[in-house]
Order: sequence, then C-alpha cells, then structure tokens
Amino acid sequence: MNRPFSFQAERISRLFHSFNVAAAAMLGLVILLVVYISIRYRRRGNDSGEGAQVTGNNLLEALMIGLPAILLAGFFFASLAAQRAIAPPIGPDLKPDVIITGHQWWWEADYPQAKVITANEVHLPVGRRLLMEMRSADVIHDWWVPELGNKTDLVPGTSNYLWLTINKPGLYIGACSEFCGAQHAWMRIKVVGENEKAFNGWLAANARTALPPADSLAVRGAALFQAKTCASCHRIGGTPAVAKVGPDLTHVGSRNYLLTGMLSTSEANLMAWISHPQQIKPGAWMPDFILSRDSVKAIAHYLESLK
Amino acid sequence: MENKTMIRLVVGTEAIFFLCLIMAFVYMAYHAGFEPHQRSSLDIRTTGAYTVLLLGSSLTLMLAERGYRKGSPRGLKGWLLTTLVLGGLFLFGQGREYLRLIHKNITLSGSVFGTSFFTLTGFHGLHVLIGLIVLGIILLLAFLGDYDRPKKGGGALGTAAVYWHFVDIVWIVVFIVVYLLPKI
Amino acid sequence: MAKSIKIPDPIAPFPGLGASTNQGLLQWISAVDHKLIGIMYLMLSLVFLLAGGVIALLMRVQLALPVNHFLSPETYNQFFTMHGTTMIFFMAMPAVFGFSVYFVPLMIGANDMAFPRLNAFGFWLTFFGGLLLYFSFLAGGAPDAGWFNYAPLNGKNYSIGPGIDYYAMGLLVSGIGSVVTSVNLIVTILHYRVKGMALNKLPLFVWMVLVNSFLLLAAFPSLNAALAMLLLDRQLNAHFFNTANGGSALLWQHLFWIFGHPEVYILILPPFGILSEVFQVYSRKAIFGYPFVAASSVAIALLAFGVWAHHMFAAGLGNTVNDFFSASSMLIGIPTGVKVFNWLATMYGGKIRFTTSMLFAIAFLVEFTIGGLSGIAFSIVPIDWQLTDTYYVVAHIHYVFIGGTIFGLLSGLFYWFPKMTGRLTDERLGKWFFWLFVIGFNATFLVQHVLGMKGMPRRVYTYPDLPGYGLLNFISTAGAFLMGISVLLLLYVIRTGARRGRPAGTDPWDGYTLEWATGSPPKGKNFEDLPVVSGRRAFWDMKQREKNKNTQYGE
Ligand code: HEA
Ligand code: HEA
Ligand code: HEC
Ligand code: CUA
Ligand SMILES: [Cu+2]
Repeated sequence: MNRPFSFQAERISRLFHSFNVAAAAMLGLVILLVVYISIRYRRRGNDSGEGAQVTGNNLLEALMIGLPAILLAGFFFASLAAQRAIAPPIGPDLKPDVIITGHQWWWEADYPQAKVITANEVHLPVGRRLLMEMRSADVIHDWWVPELGNKTDLVPGTSNYLWLTINKPGLYIGACSEFCGAQHAWMRIKVVGENEKAFNGWLAANARTALPPADSLAVRGAALFQAKTCASCHRIGGTPAVAKVGPDLTHVGSRNYLLTGMLSTSEANLMAWISHPQQIKPGAWMPDFILSRDSVKAIAHYLESLK
Repeated sequence: MENKTMIRLVVGTEAIFFLCLIMAFVYMAYHAGFEPHQRSSLDIRTTGAYTVLLLGSSLTLMLAERGYRKGSPRGLKGWLLTTLVLGGLFLFGQGREYLRLIHKNITLSGSVFGTSFFTLTGFHGLHVLIGLIVLGIILLLAFLGDYDRPKKGGGALGTAAVYWHFVDIVWIVVFIVVYLLPKI
Repeated sequence: MAKSIKIPDPIAPFPGLGASTNQGLLQWISAVDHKLIGIMYLMLSLVFLLAGGVIALLMRVQLALPVNHFLSPETYNQFFTMHGTTMIFFMAMPAVFGFSVYFVPLMIGANDMAFPRLNAFGFWLTFFGGLLLYFSFLAGGAPDAGWFNYAPLNGKNYSIGPGIDYYAMGLLVSGIGSVVTSVNLIVTILHYRVKGMALNKLPLFVWMVLVNSFLLLAAFPSLNAALAMLLLDRQLNAHFFNTANGGSALLWQHLFWIFGHPEVYILILPPFGILSEVFQVYSRKAIFGYPFVAASSVAIALLAFGVWAHHMFAAGLGNTVNDFFSASSMLIGIPTGVKVFNWLATMYGGKIRFTTSMLFAIAFLVEFTIGGLSGIAFSIVPIDWQLTDTYYVVAHIHYVFIGGTIFGLLSGLFYWFPKMTGRLTDERLGKWFFWLFVIGFNATFLVQHVLGMKGMPRRVYTYPDLPGYGLLNFISTAGAFLMGISVLLLLYVIRTGARRGRPAGTDPWDGYTLEWATGSPPKGKNFEDLPVVSGRRAFWDMKQREKNKNTQYGE
C-alpha cells in the first residue's frame, strides 16, 4: 500500500501489515506442506500399491478448525477496533467541513461555511479532523485517495460521511473507484493538503467572485461565454452564469489541471477542449459546439484569466 | 416420487423468488415511502372476498384429488372444474382491482407504490395463470379418459396440486403484506 | 459375493444414441442422453472460454501502456462487462454443469438423469441465453455496466443502448436453465442411487454437486427477481432502481449480491468435488476426513447466504452491519481451510502419481489459498475500505476463479478425458500446458495485487503514467498472452488426444468410483447391472472382491 499520510490511512496500513504477516505464515504453511508431502510421498518406481489407508483423525480435524478460528478471531477484533477509530459515529448536529458531490465525470467541492464552490481540485487543511459529506448527482461514484485512507461510495439519494485527518501538506492523487460510466477512468481526484494559513488564503481567494475580463480578447470571450450555451451548464461567480450542470469555472484559471487531470491548464489546452470536447474526453456530458477558431480562442483566453 | 421431489424443489425456489419480491416491496415502502393516499385506495373488502375464493379453490382441488384417489372420475372432473372457476374468478377480481387503480392514476410507472404493488401482485397473478393452464390441461386429459383409473402418488394431478397450494399460500402472505399490514 | 442389481432403464428412450454415431449434427441437437448433453455443455464452455479470453486479451492490449488509445472507452467498458459475464455465466457455469450431468449418473450407478428431456431443455436454455447475450453486439452495443451492473447506471437514463436489456434477458433465460438442471440433479441424486449407496457413501463429487444444486436453487431466484425488476424499469418505466424518481440504488446491490456471493461458491463447490476425487485416486488413498469434507460444503453453502454485504462495505451501511458481514465472511475461511487441510492429509502417506490432472490439483492448493487469503483481507473492513474496487479485487477474482475453479475443472478434464473419449491425452504435452498456464497465470495476476495497493482502480480503460503502473501492467499483459498461447496448446492436446490418443480402456487410473466400471466412453446405456454398494469406493471394492475371488480359486 502507498505510504499513509493521514490518521485513517496509518491505522489501516498498520492493520494491513499485521494481516500480511499472518497471511504469509498461513500461505507458507500450505506451501511447505504441499512441497514436503509431494516430495516425501511421491510414487517410487512403478509401485502400483495403495498408500496407508488412514482416513481420519479427530484431533487433527479439531486443529484444522481451531487454528484458523483463533487467527480469524484476532482479525475480527482488530477490524472492529480499527473501524471504530476510523469511522466513529456521526452526531446529529455535526456540520460537514466539505460537501463533495460526484458527477459523471467530475467532482464538485462545496465549502458550506465559506460559501466556496469549486471543482476537481480539493484543498483541505492539514492537522485537523475534517468531516466530509459525500453525495452524488447521478450514479454511484466512489471517493478514494490511497494515501489518505478509506474510500466511500457516493450514492445518489443519500449522504455518506468520511472522517479525514491529514498529517502532512502535499498533493495527493486519487481516483473515482466505483465504475460510473464511459469516463470512469478520467474521474481522478487531486487533494491539496495545506497548512491552516495557506488553506485560509486559498479559501478567501476562492470566495471572491470571478475577476473581470482584463483585455479586449477576454472581454469578447466573456461575452461569448454568456451568449453561447456555456452559461446554461457552467457557473462563473459574479456573472449571470449560474448553472451547475458542469464544473464551476469561477477560478478555473487558478487550477493546475483540467478534466480531473487529463490536461494541464493552459490557453492551448482550453482551446483544444472547447473546440472538440468529444475528441478529448469521449462521452463527457459537454457536446461539441460549432464555434469559430477566433471565438474559441477568445473564450479560452478569458477562462485562462480567471485566476 | 420423482415428480413430487421435483415439484417441491421448484416450489422452494419459487418461494424464495417471492420472498425477494416481498422484501423489495417492504424495502421500497421504507426507503422511498409510499404515498399514503395511494396505499389507502386499495380495496381490502373486495379483494378479501376474492382471497376467500382462491383459498376455496385449494379446498376444491383437495376434493378433486380425493375423488381421483377414490377412483371417482366424476368427482375429480367436477371438483377440478370448480377449482378452475374459482381460480378464474380470482384473476377476474384482480383484473378489476387493477382497472380501478389505473382509473385513479395509480400505475406501474406512476409512483413507487404503483411499481411495487403491480410487480408483486402481477407476478403472483402470472403464477395463478400458469396454474390455471396446467389444471386446465389436466381437466382436458381427464375428459379424454386419462384419469379414469387412480395412479400412485397422484401423477400429474398430485404434482400440479402442490404447485396450486403453494400459489395460494403465497397469496395469503402477499395479501397480508400489501393489504393488511399498516404502514410498512 | 454380493449379488448384482439390475440398473433400471432411463424413463425416456434415447432418440439420438441408440442409433449409430453417424447422424452428425442431428444426433447432438436431438440428444437427451446425459453424456451427450454433458459433452455439449463442455463444448459450449470451451467456446465461451475462447470468446471471453479473446476479449480479455484485447483488454490487456489496451492496458499494456499508459494513456493508450487502442480501444475507445465505450468499447472497453463493453468488453470488461462481457468478459466477466461470459466467464461466469457461460464459461464456468456450463463447465460445472457439463461435468455434473455427465458424471453424476455414472458415479451413482444410474443410466441417465431423472428427467432426460428436462436436462436437454436446461442445456438449450443456457445455449440460447448465451446467444442472446452475444447478439447485443449486433443489436447496437453490448452491456456496459459491469458484470454486477449497478443501479442506477444500468437504467435507461445512463445506459441508453439495448445492451443491458440483452444482459437481463440472456441471464434470465440461462438462469432458468440452471435452476431446471439443478432440480434435475437433486432428484437424480436422491432417487437414482444404486442400492447400498447411502448418503454417507456418496462419492464426494456427487456430494458437492448435491449441496451446490441446493445452493443454486436458493440463490438464483434473487437474481431473477432483480433482473425482472430491472426489465420493468427499463421497458415499462417502473421505479425500482431509478433514483431520480424515488427508487433505490442499494436495493439492486442487495438483491444482486444475495445471489452474487452464493454464485461464486456455486462455481467453486463442484471443482472442490472434482479435486476430492482426484486427490484420492492419484495419491492411492481414500479421502481423509470424509465427513468433514462433506459437511464443510454444507457449512459453506449456508454461510454463503450471510455474507453478501461484504461487497458493499464502502456503501455506507454502518459499522454494525459491516461487523456482522465481516464476521460471517471470515467464518467461511474455516470450512474452506478444513477442505484444504484434509486434501493435504489425503496426500500424506500416499503414493502420489504426478499426472497432469494431479499437477493441477496440487497447484490449486497453493493458488487457491492465495486467492482465499486475499478474500480474507477484504473481510477485514478497514482493509476493504482501502482495497475494494481496485486491481487487488481483480487479482482476488482471478486467483479464486482461475487458481480455484479453472484449475479444478482442468484437473477434472484430464482425469475424466479418457472416460469421455476412450483415449488418453499426451501427458508430455499436458505437462507443458500445465507449466505455461501456471506461469502465465501468476505473471498476469500476481502483479495486480501490487497495482491495487498502489491505487489503480479497476474498470478503467486507461491510466495516467504514474510510477510503476506502466511496467506492472505490461508484465500483466505479457502474462495474459502466455496464457493465451497455453490455451491454444490445450486445444491441440484435446484435439490430438480425442483423435489419436492411446486407447484408454475402461479404467486407466485404477479408479475408485463407479464411472470406471463401464466402457470408455460408456455406451448408450451406462450399466446393465451392478453389485450392492457397501463402501465409499464402490468400484475399488468391486475390484478387490474380484481379486480375492481369483486368489481363492485361481492358480
Ligand atoms: C470462486 C469464487 C470465489 C471464492 C471461492 C471466493 C472466496 C472468498 N471471497 Fe471472494 N470474490 C469473488 C469470488 C470468490 N471469492 C469475486 C468474483 C469477487 C468480486 C466480485 C466483483 O466485485 O466483481 C469477490 C469479492 C470478494 C469480496 C469483496 C471485495 C470488494 O469488492 O470489496 C470479499 C470481501 O469480503 C470477498 C471475500 C472472500 C472470502 C472471505 C472468501 C473465502 O471463501 C476464502 C476462503 C479460503 C481461504 C481462506 C484459503 C484456504 C484456507 C486456509 C488455508 C485456512 C487458513 C486460513 C486462514 C486462517 C485465513 N470476496
Ligand atoms: C472464471 C472467470 C474468469 C476467467 C477465466 C478470466 C480470465 C481472464 N481475465 Fe478476467 N474477469 C473475470 C472473470 C474471469 N476472468 C471477472 C468476473 C471480471 C470482472 C468483470 C467486471 O469488472 O465486470 C474480470 C475482469 C478482468 C480484468 C479487469 C478489467 C477491469 O477491471 O478493467 C482483467 C484485466 O486484466 C481480466 C483479465 C483476464 C485475463 C487476461 C484472463 C485470461 O486468463 C484469459 C485466458 C484465456 C485466453 C487468453 C483465451 C485463449 C484464446 C486464444 C489465444 C485465441 C484463440 C482464438 C480462437 C480459436 C478464435 N479480467
Ligand atoms: C451540456 C452542458 C455543457 C455545456 C453547454 C458546456 N459545458 Fe463545459 N463542461 C460540461 C461538463 C459536464 C464538463 C465536465 C466534463 C468532465 O470532466 O467529464 C465540462 C467541462 C468544462 C471545462 C473543464 C473544467 C475543469 O475544471 O475541468 C471547461 C473549461 C468548460 N467545460 C468550458 C465550457 C465552455 C467554454 C462552454 C461553451 C462553449 C461549455 N463548457 C459548455 C458541460 C457543459
Ligand atoms: Cu465516478 Cu467512477
Ligand atoms: Cu462475496
């Protein structure tokens, strides 16, 4: 397993290590017996006789049942303890720090206290126990960042919860782990663990509405964005675009990657995506548009400027 | 002998099939919550009456079997015919209940309740229909003289009877769960 | 000397068999004889092994390199769905039934199944179920929501093509076939045993088939109910699984896994039975701990119904529910371990003959234990939270299915091949096949444990170029091709064996059970008469008596 960087992941990692030792011993025993018996009791020459007919021994049977039973009981109690530590019950009045909503095939992250909505790159503070609420807008998805521990399904119609205590700042990558349709493979996760100060700075920056377009190309792009269908799916805070069918684009230029990691954010990549979404991410719920190259360039330039 | 074992096994898996449908009904009731006014538009009284008819058909089928064992083809045919009529009446009653509900806009695709109700009772109705067809064939054979002399174990009649009683018992459970138990 | 019992004729005449074998296709299509139907099941299984295997190879080509563009995402998703569905329902199930209907009547000294026509009916339902599933490729797209087909992805909103409808219909049709055949097997075993063969003298293969058939009868209704509900949802707009209209996504998971978990044991119990025979004969020793081996199957079958939610540990059912299913899943390890250790004890003190069949049986002990132990890893809830839905699961699946089910089936194939064809396979080539297959198998799937632990989810058509991913996937693909080559060799071994192999005679392995007491292949009617059975090794006892008689009166 990957090196653990959260309290939860560490707990599981320790459990997994002890399991592996016990399992290796069991497997070793079986292999040892297989090899020893195969060599010791192979037929020699053309001996056509029968082996010694021993057909039972209750003591041995008791051993076959008892030994694994003891081992399994150990596993069971270790499992109980770790489970309780990782997933303690959720009190009725606990408020989630982040609400993650899975969409085919991107993630929405909602910080209810700070009223920040963003997508795909999830910033989280380090050293504090966070409660994450997990929802789905369509089919079942599954949140998994291996270095941060356990996964949780995002089930439409209900909310699941995840406790997370990140130990160390860093970029952690994960992936949607429940098959969710055509682009399940490109529904990857980026979690940026930051210390409290950096996190709060990020939160404040993202709570602001979108920057106004700075140059004439961007002004044209902004107008096109509102005029073309873009605004019927995407939200850009502070503009008339408020739809939430696609990822929030308020600060899309400040994110490092597009499309959960398929492309890095740049004007060229934005152009490529906007002109032929279906070539880049076939099946994605953003259709190909008929847009002139100039329009695409203007929109991409505008979006890139939304730091 | 073989036939009896066979039909018991078939009835066993069928029972589990209905158990799954019933569990799905209950699950939907809890999970999604049925619309109370839809639930209350079920007609317990009339359906109860038809339920009695269906139970009666089990009794008449037993009498038919007895007639057969006693070597009385007339008794067999008479009671078998009664069974068919009672089973047919039950289906008729179910059809009326369906029509009534559909007029009230409760349909398979209309609501979670409709989905659960029509699926569960529909599958039961289908089994009644299959039973009726089998018994009908046996009646036809009886009129052709196949059942004039008794056979050990009751032959096809004995096999079909196990199935028919099973269909009745399933209905009792379905009736209780769907009509009688409040607010599941 | 025990007196002979005349074995009653089967109730139905054989339209196909009494006649010469030269009726070609007609003989097969009209067959009701259990041996012909058994062979047809095995052929069907082989065809679907090739189909599912070719699909797997194409998938492995796509996965060989990071960010590869060999298959489109739609195609890949259809492929892994079809691969899993094919392998489970149309490769492994027919193989299990093939051996069951062929050898159960022979081993209990009967002349046919209880209901020969029903037997044929069951086969043809399986056959047409498979055709229906594959027809989807022509009808506008194969199913693409995985073999367990989770809601609401399986709904009309998210899977628009007709693939899922074909999946549901195909599995319903073949599922009914499986139920019918299981009923038939149980009735046969309960009513057609030769005199003296009480249940505690039943050959272990027959024992496992009996338990397995009950397991199947209890498990399939749940799948059938779920499929019926799914079809209602898709065709008539019902709302069982449609979350947008009040339906439930988890209801499907419960119904599916109440079936799905027993299903995987349905695919391992008959191979357990085969191995229980193979270990005895090639170790020249009666089974060690007969009552434990038999009873552990019953325990497995019962427990199998109490573990389904271990596939849903991450779905948010709560700690209490998880604990229960964690405990029951672990418990299953105990009866399975009892089997493994009893087989080892059977070998202990024997005179082991390393035929191809026995090699597969021995390799099974190791490979299946690896698969079983990764299963135990999942039953520890927090570990499952890390590893579920990753390549670690893919590794588990294949270690139990290939290292378990397929190794058992191959062991049975090489063991019974002389009985079914009258000829021996080439042992040298058989051993070549064994080694290629074992090496290819481990190369393909051992590395997948590591991939899973590193964080690669399953069912992805491609993956980014993260450290180690490329190399491990490439090894896995290379292993898959080695397996492919070995399967071609297997086809060659079967073909040359059936055509030109050395004649086997009735009893090439000095067998213990009754199938070796009749011709190879047995004629239309299996047995004319048999002595009353008094021990667990009916045919061995017959041979001993014969020998004693000769030493008494002879020379
Ligand atoms: C033949 C098929 C087969 C068999 C036999 C098994 C056997 C077992 N399986 Fe497996 N399983 C599958 C087929 C099978 N499985 C499939 C197909 C899936 C995935 C479905 C999907 O998602 O697509 C799956 C998935 C699966 C999961 C869910 C994983 C996930 O998706 O998160 C779990 C969780 O508990 C599990 C557990 C087990 C256990 C505990 C056993 C036990 O029965 C194993 C018992 C055996 C042993 C333990 C080894 C021998 C014993 C000894 C040598 C004794 C000593 C051992 C100890 C003391 C530990 N299996
Ligand atoms: C008994 C069951 C069984 C068997 C035998 C196999 C056999 C193989 N499986 Fe499969 N597998 C499953 C059951 C099985 N699988 C299941 C249930 C899943 C889950 C599906 C899901 O997620 O829904 C799965 C998923 C699965 C995946 C994961 C897909 C994903 O999650 O994205 C992979 C990837 O490597 C894989 C690979 C293989 C390979 C390489 C083989 C090889 O062993 C195949 C070997 C056989 C051959 C290679 C055939 C040889 C033929 C030729 C060489 C050509 C000759 C051709 C002609 C004559 C026409 N399988
Ligand atoms: C029908 C709805 C729809 C319309 C119209 C639409 N989009 Fe999108 N867009 C989406 C969806 C859904 C995604 C997420 C795709 C994915 O990752 O699978 C997306 C993703 C994006 C992204 C990448 C965001 C990220 O962080 O990864 C950009 C940029 C984008 N769209 C720009 C545009 C522009 C510009 C237009 C108008 C020309 C537009 N979209 C019109 C639905 C839409
Ligand atoms: Cu979302 Cu897979
Ligand atoms: Cu399972």
